[in-house]
Amino acid sequence: MDFKRSIKEKKYVVEISQREVEELRNSIRAAYDKVIADYVERMKRGWAGRPKVMDYFYEMADFSRREKELIEAKSEGKKIIGYTCVFAPVELILAADAIPVRVSCGLYEPAKIGNRIVPVEVCPVIRSTVGAKIIGLSPFLEQSDALITALTCDGMTKLSEIMSDYKPVWTICPPRLKDTEQSLSFWRSELLTLKANIEKLTGTKITGKSLRRAIERVHRANRVFRKLQNLRKEKPVIMGRDAMLVTQIAMWDDLERWTEKAELLCIELEERLKENNLACPPDTPRVMLTGSPIIWPDNWKLPNLIEEAKPQGIIVADELCSGDRFLYDPVGVDEWTFEDMFTALAERYLMPSTCPCFTSEAGNEDRVNWLINRVKEWRVEGVIYYIYRGCMLYAMEYMRIKHALDHLNVPTYYLDTDYTREDVGQIKTRVEAFLEMLKARIEI
Amino acid sequence: MISKLLEMIIIAGIISMGILAILIWVKDKTRRVTSLRIFIQVASVPLIFLGLIVGPFGLPQFPPVGNAPRDIVIGTEILGRPFPDGLSVPVLACWYPSGRTITCPIWQMQAYLYPFWEPGIGFGWGIIYTTPGWERLIITFSLVILMAVLFGRAFCGWICPFGLYMDLLSHIRRAFGKAYRKMPEKVNVGLRQLRYVIIAVFMILSVILGSQAIFGIQLIQDTQKGGFIYSYVSAPYCQVCPMRPLCVLCEVAVGAMNSTFVFSHTKGMFYEAGYYITSINLTVLGMATLGALAYRRFWCRLCPLGGLAGLFSRFQPFKRVTLLKLNKEKEKCTKCGICKRVCPPQIKEVYELEGGDVTTSACILCLRCVEMCPYEGCLEVTFAGRSIFESRNWLEK
Repeated sequence: MDFKRSIKEKKYVVEISQREVEELRNSIRAAYDKVIADYVERMKRGWAGRPKVMDYFYEMADFSRREKELIEAKSEGKKIIGYTCVFAPVELILAADAIPVRVSCGLYEPAKIGNRIVPVEVCPVIRSTVGAKIIGLSPFLEQSDALITALTCDGMTKLSEIMSDYKPVWTICPPRLKDTEQSLSFWRSELLTLKANIEKLTGTKITGKSLRRAIERVHRANRVFRKLQNLRKEKPVIMGRDAMLVTQIAMWDDLERWTEKAELLCIELEERLKENNLACPPDTPRVMLTGSPIIWPDNWKLPNLIEEAKPQGIIVADELCSGDRFLYDPVGVDEWTFEDMFTALAERYLMPSTCPCFTSEAGNEDRVNWLINRVKEWRVEGVIYYIYRGCMLYAMEYMRIKHALDHLNVPTYYLDTDYTREDVGQIKTRVEAFLEMLKARIEI
Repeated sequence: MISKLLEMIIIAGIISMGILAILIWVKDKTRRVTSLRIFIQVASVPLIFLGLIVGPFGLPQFPPVGNAPRDIVIGTEILGRPFPDGLSVPVLACWYPSGRTITCPIWQMQAYLYPFWEPGIGFGWGIIYTTPGWERLIITFSLVILMAVLFGRAFCGWICPFGLYMDLLSHIRRAFGKAYRKMPEKVNVGLRQLRYVIIAVFMILSVILGSQAIFGIQLIQDTQKGGFIYSYVSAPYCQVCPMRPLCVLCEVAVGAMNSTFVFSHTKGMFYEAGYYITSINLTVLGMATLGALAYRRFWCRLCPLGGLAGLFSRFQPFKRVTLLKLNKEKEKCTKCGICKRVCPPQIKEVYELEGGDVTTSACILCLRCVEMCPYEGCLEVTFAGRSIFESRNWLEK
């Protein structure tokens, strides 16, 4: 893509003065620093006897440390490649010796600025990301040299267009039917194009050797992540929002360091499980979150509400592309030849995905199966189906999921919200009512 | 005779100790199913061809009929009925050089089919059958059905020496960093059906060539009954099979067979390469070798012997009583497609079927899918309802 031209002539013009940009950036930055500090403080308060390692994650929750590291890495000549969707193969970025960061924005105020380009009806992830870009707010979005966007939902499709005004954007298009031969070969060729783009930007050739190293690196992260998820199966040794934060941090942290820290956390939690040192009473209603991505920080209001509500609930599992789905599935390589590794990589990012942008003859059955499995294995007692206003695909799948979960006698609660902080009180009431109902069910 | 027996016991002991050592060394069996499988394949090669290694044949002297190891241990009788050619096990254990320990049932079917109503001169040197062909056929089929019901096509994945040959070729290809090719689905399914056509065609050919049924004309020169070539043309599949030249060439290479004996007795164009190997044999072997270099487990997709084992384990009514099965739990499956990709004979059913019993007649039960499935308990192998192997989170070391 000839991005020089596209940078010169913006396709999506927004009328905003440089002064206004500066002002907004500074004021919003100060605001969200406060929000992050407040949320971290609340999480610390919610889990007083937390392991020491958690402090690392609380520290990383503030973007500034990672931002400094990224600037440093950039000055050393490393490239930073951002991605908006979990469809972007992290392994390819790592194999080219670049740094992957997920740039989807979870901040509330930029969403309002995003309204200047995108209509209000669009989901807040898109609006916030656009807004953050306009005022240059999101540290990861600013530092990334290129963006990988996946054409999953309508919002993501247009987001990649808007972003191409500012940065080189590589779009990858996942086919909407995933289990046919032609979709897979199409998706594989999409990734091959992406690989060529990454190689061009970084100047590093992705060889079989480097790809294998990258896959094994992500395998280590996968292993630790699954360990952490499995620890949540039995008793609540870790608060749900803390586990979710750990997962979120993997999206922008150095993967190696994250693996190390998360491993330490797992070891500590295993010991606690043996000692029966729990984060909350074992009869706390076990809740699963499913639906639209929950992105740190502003979106954290829902996990916070669930785990601070009276009666308290605990999130034991989730089916979110910003959570469980990010690291759960490993790349299964049969033979370590480049061809097979690449096919395995392509399959990993397409086939197990439960994104509602897919459909098939049986509908998006994979998602139903995944949820049923989660509910059974993680002994989930209630499911909160969480969507953003404007997230059509998730909203439209609700009836189907509810029906499937009804068969398991697990209540599903539909909760639609936004990044906004104004509806916290209302949502609190709704969540508490749901949790009370769960509590009553357990007692019966 | 006692020393032979001792030798056999020692070999069997070494092999079983090896299997035991591997089982102990590999604490988690599922992780290393493939290494265990390759070991068992290698270990079964001497077992299958034991007759040649310790047998009294002393090839190529002719006709040195004596007692094969099986004869010493369990005799040449099954339930009191004479059955001298070796146990029928559905693996490509070629009769020609194997020395009567285990014998390919396809060969036996051809050899016994005509004339099935009377006892007579045997295929083997100096063997004279005292029972009619149909009785021997019944024994062959009962053995094959018994084995197929017990283990299904696990013979193909775990014991068959030709499977080992193809696996080694795959390893060679891998060492060169080359990827395997994928066969189009249509061709793959077509080959699967072709297996049964192959069986039918060669059985008919065996009767025609063996009986000179077409107007008493000798289709091939010097094929009169009891003649030297007769026994060969009445087993026409063996003139095509890729295993025979491979066995014979290996025997020649290790010095267990005399090369002049193998390559002499050239009779016209059909037998140009010689008596033990035909030019068709060599061509098919060459093609199978090239095929196995490009595709994984190429021959297994059209092997009539595998078809036979599949027929007696994966089709009704045998399907109901088969003991070894591959099960899938629907809800644990995320449809990640790993099982489909890693499958050597490219079977889609494990991926496509919803759940329950996902074994098919094309499945060689190599358990690669179970090994590679990253979800705990999604795929499992059951024997008589009891779980043997289960897929696991292989990310954990």
